[in-house]
Amino acid sequence: MTHQTHPYHMVNPSPWPLTGAFSALLMTSGLAMWFHFNSTILLSLGMLTNLLTMYQWWRDIVREGTFQGHHTFTVQKGLRYGMILFIISEIFFFAGFFWAFYHSSLAPTPELGGCWPPTGIIPLNPLEVPLLNTAVLLASGVTITWAHHSLMEGDRMSMLQSLLITIMLGIYFTLLQASEYLETPFTISDGVYGSTFFMATGFHGLHVIIGSTFLTICFFRQLNFHFTSSHHFGFEAAAWYWHFVDVVWLFLYVSIYWWGS
Amino acid sequence: MYYKFSGFTQRLVGAWASDAYSPQLRGLKPVVSTKTPPIIFATPTKLTFDSVYDYAGKNKVPELQKFFQKSDGVPVHLKRGLPDQMLYWTTMALTVGGTIYCLIGLYMASQPKNK
Repeated sequence: MTHQTHPYHMVNPSPWPLTGAFSALLMTSGLAMWFHFNSTILLSLGMLTNLLTMYQWWRDIVREGTFQGHHTFTVQKGLRYGMILFIISEIFFFAGFFWAFYHSSLAPTPELGGCWPPTGIIPLNPLEVPLLNTAVLLASGVTITWAHHSLMEGDRMSMLQSLLITIMLGIYFTLLQASEYLETPFTISDGVYGSTFFMATGFHGLHVIIGSTFLTICFFRQLNFHFTSSHHFGFEAAAWYWHFVDVVWLFLYVSIYWWGS
Repeated sequence: MYYKFSGFTQRLVGAWASDAYSPQLRGLKPVVSTKTPPIIFATPTKLTFDSVYDYAGKNKVPELQKFFQKSDGVPVHLKRGLPDQMLYWTTMALTVGGTIYCLIGLYMASQPKNK
């Protein structure tokens, strides 16, 4: 009998890192083809292969953990470290955009009129939709904590309901931001104000969509009884990511919407 | 006798070998409702489903665990058989084909334009 005598996970050989790497090549060269030669075929192919890779890679992780039992406590510890390190790298990613914003707004150049917001820019009122967005995300932080506690207590119905409310709040935020984007009197090409505003809030919006998708996957996994009251790391990772997205919004709101207006 | 570290406090406690092989089953709470069923009166009353067991289908996880743990040497990404293979070949074809298209495109784009 060949049983492992250690708690680690020796993964089966997998083709997804390779297809993932190639899909990254197709996406980046596809961007170049789109920008310079007006052709979107490579970019579309890249995004499609990227989606296929992500679906199959994460499907395999669910199979290995939930169905094959490879996610021992030691393996779970490694997954926790991994998720934490990934979120830290995302924090640094956003730090770059905040650096750019503060670099330009703390010492506005004469070309901008020596003031912030720059001359001619009408900023959004922070007490209108942006404040609603803040309330929506803070509420979603409460509902996801409710979902977690329900899960730990084995309350299946409450977990499903509160997770669904969290996802709906995430979608509501996205729709509100999209409508705000259509309403802004300034665009991304309106100087450094437009650039910093849309780069920072745009990438944040993308992360909200990613987080909502992660939560939706957790919803379907919970429907299919994948989580137990003591072992549900996929959900915890989604919750950590969601709280991170919420915190980034709070920094965005205070810095760009409020102080920057 | 086997041993493990308990959940939050990490104390050394006794355990069964099954904990190491299937940690997923450790915390599984019983899903069958232990409440008494509602009394049916003479006038018809709507029976409510207190048990969450019947909500949105049955728990297929134990069957899936048995299925995916079959030691047939098939790697996890192909374990389901035909649907897995089809998706794998589609992904590979699109990826490799796309890469060749990309390299040709990059080669052509790097050619100087003849004035």
